[in-house]
Order: sequence, then C-alpha cells, then structure tokens
Amino acid sequence: MADALRFESPVTRSHPAGESGGLTLTDSSATVKWLVRAFDEGPAAACLQTPFGSSRQDPSGALVLGSRPGEWILLGAQDAVARVVESLQGFGSGDFVTAVEWTHGRAMFRVSGRHAPRALEKVCSLDWSDPMTPDGAVTSASVAKVICDIARDDCRGTLSYLVLCDRSFGQYVFDALIDAGREFGLTVVPAGLSFSDTQDTVG
Amino acid sequence: MAMSRLGQRPTEVIKRSVTLHFRWNGRSFSGFEGDTVASALAASGQQVFSRSLKYHRPRGILTADYWDPNLMVQVGDDPNVRAGHRLLEEGMDVRAQNVWPSLRFDLKAANSLVGRFLSAGFYYKTFMRPRWLWPSYERVLSAFGPGGRVDIDSPDRYHDKRYTHPDVVVAGAGPAGIEAALAASKAGARVLLVEHEHSVGGHLRYSTRAAEQVALGKLRGTLEASDVEVLTDSTVTGRYEDNWLGIVQRNHPIAVERLIKARAKMLVVAPGLIERPYVFEGNDRPGVITSAAARRLINLWGVKPGERAVVFSANDEGDAAADLRDAGVDVAAVIDGRKGHRINSTRGSRRAVEGVVADGVRIDADLLVVAAGWTAPTSLLNMAGDRPAYDRYAARFFPSNPPDSVLATGGLSGDGTLDELRTHGAATGRLAAARALSVAHRIQARTARARAVGGPEPDWAADDRLPLRRDFHPELFRSDTHGMIDFSEDVGSKDLLAAAREGYDSVELAKRYTTATMGSSQGKLETVNTVAVLAEARGENIGEVGTTVWRPPYAPVSLGALAGRVFEPVRVSPIQPWHEANGVRTILAGQWVRPDHYGDPAAEVRNARSNVGIIDVTPLGKLDLRGPDIPKLLNLLYTNKWSNLAVGKVRYGMMCGEDGVVLDDGVTGRLGEDHYMMTTTSSGAGVVWEWVENWLQTERPDWRVHVTPVTSAYASINVAGPKSRRLVGRVVRDVDLSPEGFAYMEVRSATVAGVAGCFMWRIGFTGDLSYELHVPAGHGMHVWEALIEAGADLGVGPFGMEGQRIMRLEKGHFIVGQDTDGLTMAPSTGLSRLIRLDKENFVGRPELGWSGSRRLPMIVAIQPDHPQTVPDEGCQIVRGDTNEILGRITSSRMSPTLRRSICLGQVEPELAIGGSRVTVLLASGDRIGATVMGHHAHFDPAGERLRG
Repeated sequence: MADALRFESPVTRSHPAGESGGLTLTDSSATVKWLVRAFDEGPAAACLQTPFGSSRQDPSGALVLGSRPGEWILLGAQDAVARVVESLQGFGSGDFVTAVEWTHGRAMFRVSGRHAPRALEKVCSLDWSDPMTPDGAVTSASVAKVICDIARDDCRGTLSYLVLCDRSFGQYVFDALIDAGREFGLTVVPAGLSFSDTQDTVG
Repeated sequence: MAMSRLGQRPTEVIKRSVTLHFRWNGRSFSGFEGDTVASALAASGQQVFSRSLKYHRPRGILTADYWDPNLMVQVGDDPNVRAGHRLLEEGMDVRAQNVWPSLRFDLKAANSLVGRFLSAGFYYKTFMRPRWLWPSYERVLSAFGPGGRVDIDSPDRYHDKRYTHPDVVVAGAGPAGIEAALAASKAGARVLLVEHEHSVGGHLRYSTRAAEQVALGKLRGTLEASDVEVLTDSTVTGRYEDNWLGIVQRNHPIAVERLIKARAKMLVVAPGLIERPYVFEGNDRPGVITSAAARRLINLWGVKPGERAVVFSANDEGDAAADLRDAGVDVAAVIDGRKGHRINSTRGSRRAVEGVVADGVRIDADLLVVAAGWTAPTSLLNMAGDRPAYDRYAARFFPSNPPDSVLATGGLSGDGTLDELRTHGAATGRLAAARALSVAHRIQARTARARAVGGPEPDWAADDRLPLRRDFHPELFRSDTHGMIDFSEDVGSKDLLAAAREGYDSVELAKRYTTATMGSSQGKLETVNTVAVLAEARGENIGEVGTTVWRPPYAPVSLGALAGRVFEPVRVSPIQPWHEANGVRTILAGQWVRPDHYGDPAAEVRNARSNVGIIDVTPLGKLDLRGPDIPKLLNLLYTNKWSNLAVGKVRYGMMCGEDGVVLDDGVTGRLGEDHYMMTTTSSGAGVVWEWVENWLQTERPDWRVHVTPVTSAYASINVAGPKSRRLVGRVVRDVDLSPEGFAYMEVRSATVAGVAGCFMWRIGFTGDLSYELHVPAGHGMHVWEALIEAGADLGVGPFGMEGQRIMRLEKGHFIVGQDTDGLTMAPSTGLSRLIRLDKENFVGRPELGWSGSRRLPMIVAIQPDHPQTVPDEGCQIVRGDTNEILGRITSSRMSPTLRRSICLGQVEPELAIGGSRVTVLLASGDRIGATVMGHHAHFDPAGERLRG
C-alpha cells in the first residue's frame, strides 16, 4: 500500500529552470537505495565485485557503489536492487552481512554536463580530473560542508555525478549545488523522477 | 609635477572611445576604459593621492602599480583600494583616506611638527604609563588610525570559492612564466597560470622595443591557443604544505573576489623583479617615481608624468630617459648611479618636486625618475622553506635551496636577454611537468577511486636547466642623506638607525619595533632597504644581517575573500513545510531547524494534557543495530543490563564516558531477533554514532554488529495526551493498542496511515500517554497530515519544542546537556538503579565504582515558594543570605498544567532530600525561598497517565 503513496522528496522549494544545457541538476531522491555491510574480503564482497572506490552496473540494472571498505550502496529500480540484496542472503552463515533500506534516509542528486566538474569544485575539494575520478569512481567528501557519497556515473558519454547526502540536508545541498552551478547556466530538472528517468535527463 | 594625457601610444591599454565618469573627493573627473583610478586621476593633473600614515605628508604616485603604497583610497564603501591597480568604472566615488578635513588641507599633518617625538617605539614608550589612562589614549589614537572607513551597513557581496588540482601552477605571467606554462602544458600537464596584473606579459607590456612587442604578441597568441588556464588580476597569496596554494582572483564575473584553493603538484615561481625605491632626503615628495612607474604611465595609459625630469639610473632597464623624451618630457639630466653619482635630495613644496640636488648640484625639475635596483619577491620561496641568499655582485637576493616541488624562473632566478629568460622559463616548465608526472603517479596509485596506474613511478626528473647569469649591479640603497624607507608605515632611515642604537638591530626585532615592511606593500619595496640600513648600522653586509621571513599572504587579502562563500548547513524534517505553513516559530537546535512553538506554547501544553498533541521529533537520533552481538554492545555502552530485552520491548538507558560522566541517554527497542533500534538525544546523535563505531572498530572488531544511522530515514512523530490512543487507533490498523496488547515501554512494527515499514513505541517523555511513530521519511508529511485530519474531532494540535520542554519538566525528566554538564556523573541523575555495577564491565564502570564515596551534586525537582516567580536557568542556589553556592537551577518554566513555577536543579547532596529548603539568588539580585521535592516529577509522580 505504501508503494502507491507518492514519495515526498526532501527538496520542497522549487527553482527556475536555466537555459544552458552545459549543466543539469536533477533531484533523484526517490531512487531506491540500500546499504549493504559485510566483511570487505568475504564471500559477499566477492559476490558484489565492487571494491571500495569503484562502482559497477549489476546485470539486474542496479548500480553498486563501493562506498567504504566493507560497505556498499545499491541504487536502482526496486526489483533490480532487491535481486542484488537477495543474492547476498546465502552468505549468512559464512559471512556477517546486513542490508538496510536507505531510500528514505538519503537524498540523491545527479549533476551532469560538461561543466559538472567546474560546478562541483566550487563546493567540494576533490580532484575531479579524469585520472583521479574516472567514470565509475566512488568517494566520500564534504559538499558545502555536508558529508556526501559521490559517484561518477557518466551517461552516454556525458559527465555525470551522483551526490548522496543525509536526507535532512537534502534541500540545503540542492540549494548549494544550484548556487554553484548558476554561473554555468544550470538547468534544474524537477523532482520525482526514477533512477532511469534521471539517466535520461543527461546528455 | 603636472601630469597630463598624451596622444595615442602603440602599447596603451586604454580605450579612448569609452569615457568613464567618476568622482574624486566630491569633484567630477573622467578617464578611459582601461585606466586605473590612479592613471585617470594623474591624467587629470592630480598630484597628491593620499597622506602618509604618521606625519600626514602629501603622497603622490611612486610605482603606479598594485604595490604603490601611496595610492590607497576609498572607493564607495570599499576601504584600502589600490588605486594603482583598480580599474576605473563608471560612477565610481573615490575618496582619500585618513585625512581631516580634506586631502588638500589635512590638520593631522600637525603630526609632522612633532615628528621628532614620533620616532620608532613612540607608542611603546609613551602610552605605557599611567595604565589607567590607556582608555583615553585608545580613543585618541583610534581617531588617528590609518585606512579607510568600514561601513557596517554595507550590503553583503558575493565572495566565491573554488578548489582545483592543477599539475603545475605558474605564479607570474611575464615572458619566463608564460614560457614555463606553455612548455608544461605542451608536455601534457594541466597548468594554471596566475598573473597579478590585468594582462599577461610582465615588463613587456610597457616596453617600446619593437622586438619585445612582437615577442609579447606571439606569446599571448600561443597562450590563447593553448590549454593553459590563465587567471589575470589574481594573486598566489600563499604556499603551504605540499604545494597547497591560496589564490585570490579579483576579476571574476559573478563575484567580488574568489578564493581558489589549489593543490598543485608543482609550483613555478616567476614573479619577476620589483623596482625598489632609493633612500634620500625628500624621496617621498610627489614627483619622485620609479622608472617602471614612468614607463607604465607613459606606455600603458598615455600619461605624461611631468614636464622636466631628472633620471637617476643604475641599470639599463631603468633608464627611462628615452621613454620620457618620446613622451615630450624634457630630460634635464641623467644621473648614472653606476659611475658613483648620487641623488642627495629633492627640493620644492610639500606637494611637488621643484628641484633635484645631485652630487651637490641643484637641477630644476618637476620629476625625478629613480632606478636604483631590484627586489626579488621571493615570498613564495620563503613560504616553501627556502632562505634566499644575498649576492653582493648583483645587489639582490636569489633562491637558495627551495624544495624539489618548487621551481623558480625569470628575473627571480637571474639575468639574461629576453630569449635567455624565455629559454629558462621553458626548461622550467618542462621540468615541472616531468616532476608533476611523478607526483601524479604517486597520488593516483594511493587513491582508491583513481584510475589504476601501470608500471613503477616515473623517475624524479633531474634539474638540468642551464642557470641564468647574474649581472653586476651597484649596491645602491641609501644616499648620504636620510629619507623614507617604508612609505606605508612612515618609517625612515633615521628611525631604523635609532632602533639599532636602542638594541633592536636584529632584522626581526627592528621590523617589529619600527613596523618597517609591515604595511600594505608587505615588504616588496622596503625589505632590502631596511636590511641595508641595518647592515650599515651594524657595520656588516646585507648577507650577514639576513632578511625577515616572508610569510603568507604574498599580498594583503580581504577578509571577504578569506571567508569565501560561507556554508552553513541546516537540516530540516520532511514535515517542515507543514510547520512553515502553519505559523511555526522555529529554533535552531544544532544544525536542525525545529518547531519551537506555533504561537502559544502554554496552550499547546494544555491541549496535549487534555486532548492530544503531536510533535515532530524527527531529529531524535536513531541508530539501526543489526547482528547477534548487539546485547554485548548495549551492555558495554549503557550502565544498565540488556541481556534479557525481549523482542517487542523497549528499555531506557544512560551512557557514560570513561570518566563516568553522563554522555547521552535514550531508549533502545528490540524490533527482531538480531535487530534493535537505538535512540539518542537529538544533539547527541552524531557523537553517539561515532562513539559506537569507535568502540566496535577499535576495541571490539570481533563483535558482529552493524550500525547504520537512520535519524533522517524516519520522520518521527510523538502523539501525546489522554486521547492519543484513540487518535493512533484511527491510523494504525495492524496493532492491538489496548494497554494489555501494547504496554508502556514496548515497540511494534506497524502500518501507519497506509505506510508500511513503520515502527512505534510507547514511551513517555512528556509524562502523558504517548506513542512515538517512526515513519519512512518519504511519507512523513502524509502521516502527519493524516493524524491532523483524523484527530480533528479529538482536538489534536501540534506542539513544539517549548511545549515538550515544559511537559518533560512537569514530569521531571532531565535533559542531557541541559540539566547535566561536563562534570555530571551518572549517580547525580538520581537514577542509581540503572547503574549496575554487578555487570561484568561497561564504559565508565571503574569511575562509577568508586564515585559512591564522593559527594556528588544531585539533580532534584525544586518549587519556588512564590508560584509566579520563575528563576532564570542558571540562577545560583545559595546558603541563606550568604553567597555560598550550593547548586544552581538547570531548568525552569511556568507550568500551564500546575499553574505554578517549576524547576530542576543541581544541589549539594545533603539538600537532595524532599522538603529541604533552599535559597535561589535571582538574576535581579533578589533571593527567594524554594523547596526541594521528594521526587523529580512535579506532575503525575506515580506515572499513572503515561502507563494508562
């Protein structure tokens, strides 16, 4: 029954859309998210095949982020993420594996376009160059003084970054990203899109 | 010296087709686009731009660039603007600083009459005694304070911030710097070229030599076509550990200034050389300028600097005679410092040069152009740990032994033809790129997210550059007369010699005693002359005296730039839009924006006590615990026992640090066999999470427990009041809410208003029958609105933190951090039954074990005798009419339920007995009597309501 309810995004204030196309910000907080914890050299880790600092598109369609040693974030459609979670159930005896649904606990935004690194470097101190943060890279960093998980997830050749933060900071981080992108003619895409929809907004 | 505008110059940077109008000290002036404020004023015939710091002597153009200490002005509400650098804008309101009543007639110039008493150390010697007069001294001295006027009502302006990680940063875009940037870029490095001035080219910008102009054109063209990122009007202000660089960009289109924090793999320092003044009598009289200033004025802005000039030069570059003649200036004499000729003094009014005395002979002139030598601005090298060495042959400092990640090139490194400097620059750029490759390989190999690197780290490139030669330059610092050394601070050569005589002959002491080199030009013009005069006083050479250490910033930085963009994160609950739409008064609790009340907190309390109230308690800390070893963890962290908590049960616990002091408290419920939910105080959520992780990761890595912070994942709503069961029953269908089916201190999973995945527990912070609903945050608003709608006939209403605080105080529940402090040990809370010393071990146990023998203050409930008097929180509890402190009020409110004032407080243990009489010292100074209660609860001490 809850599934029929509308997901209330942490972003509740609307913003005017820009004109450019060189930079797009999309609120994709509604994306299903799970947090998986396991021994980083155990069977579950081997099954996830996603070392810390990297990401992998699972055949189910879910995106697996190696967010910390022994910790993974799963993103994607409900059934896709569920399949990955189910695949970890068999490791209960040999490995200590837990999975917590995190959809409601994390806001998620997609920053895309050729200006995306320039916008991010206004709010985050990381090196966004291709060698240091290639497509598929996953890291944690302060974004406008809020701890975020960041994954580079290019879409059809267009630079794209997923920024995940604690839901309560969602509106603040969204506003900070808009502010950072203003000089690049940021386009803001309305909230409420699914994960695949947000990928479609890129490029 | 009457300056005027020349006809068009081939090298000029002004756009004569665009006239800009501005005001100077209230009068209207005009200039051209591309003019600096100073060049526009100079072209309009202005000679005096400021008054000196102490003596208020008239000051004119000296260097006509960023470093010119005589060109500090106020522009609008912006103080200390460098008129030699700031570009003219339409409508600018420019004013002189620190003058009264006017720049032309400045009464503060009376200081010069007592100048002999204002020598070095004047303030230290004069205003020490009597001490009681210091406030008066301070008032008078502040009226003489230098600088512009800061208007605190000025609107905030946008200061931006950016981080970047270039392979190579080149500081200085003269010909060597440009070549370094181009060569590094060509070698594959990401290069950031930073230039202090408004355009690249260094001294070539104002050179009239055809070959140099051709070279400049080519360099600019190549640079434009390259991948080098060029920042003009920007300064590398500091170099820190591992080439962490601060860069201030002043010409960003959307920001007043932008602070760039660059982590460069290699730094190339190429700032060129700065022409230093010469010290002689009257060297600060308007009309004495450096040769570079003359060339800039003539060739960049088409300003004729005077009518009849004397040129004093000790080097070929500084011989501006040709430029002056070309500009129509009558060159009365060229005095060659290399042949032993000297300038003795200038003559004229206080406002202008009328004559120059050279080798004892007076020459009529309104302009003296001086080229006495160069200062090597080695600041960035100093910041990197280098101690530049003085070379008497070349009469300047050179890099000594900078770290491998910092390279110098250009005039800073040596002398040479333009081609030789460019060649050295290019070689430096190639070397920087090669070394950056090694650094990049190392960083990439150590960074988890980075692309994998193959092979070993490239060898560290050896420095095989051909060094630049060093040309002879005479040591010309001070003539046979005395003059100004630090134009910013009004420090003369006599001051330095006096300081040396008083024992301040170390350069570091002399600097601080006289303030020489501490002004707006940060030693760029003054340091070498300061050291030279000290060397003279000590009878040593400059190398033996040494220099002061140049620390960041390279150039003064505005506070706005340092602050950058201010990030102040705030957290909101998913129900915040409802609160805002319903007249909430918010309060900032930590980073959380929380509802304090909705207009009348007392009414909110009365409604909750008589009907039902709901409060958004989303910030309540929530940690999801999973794993078989959770009971072990809880036994370790809490003071009470957790081994037998059944599924569906909730228990209150108190956490202590290893010192036995209360760290946090809250309830933890068991949702499943290996699944618990721990709550913490709102403010303690982050600390407790880190604390728990710390214990698990460092002390008990073998325990199988995973902790996930889920504070924001659930919207938390407390439903409190006698009708709360009826209200919850209308939105929850799958839980037996009867007192037997769902008792006090129990937890249930539930579907709330159609939202699955919720959990709820019966607890009672408010002291009333209450249910705490925890709902997936993405449906928090839906559930809140459902409760409001479903409870309309029950009188449901929201209450905020203030209402909650009143109700918990009525019930006598203490708040960690409010009623406890950094010394409050667990027994002081009165909850000794929760301190189970019979447990095997827990955090704080050893301290708590022997705390029984200590006289610990106790938290007690207190009721003032006068029911309408509410003592302020923090009021002291004293003994009778004495000032002997026996405790303090920690919480106090007027209770809408009891219609009287109620308090919690900490008192000495002998007073922690029901019926004890205490005296409360109010903030007004009055004393009131009060009674200590026999229990914490002012309301429903038996707990019938919350257990009902």
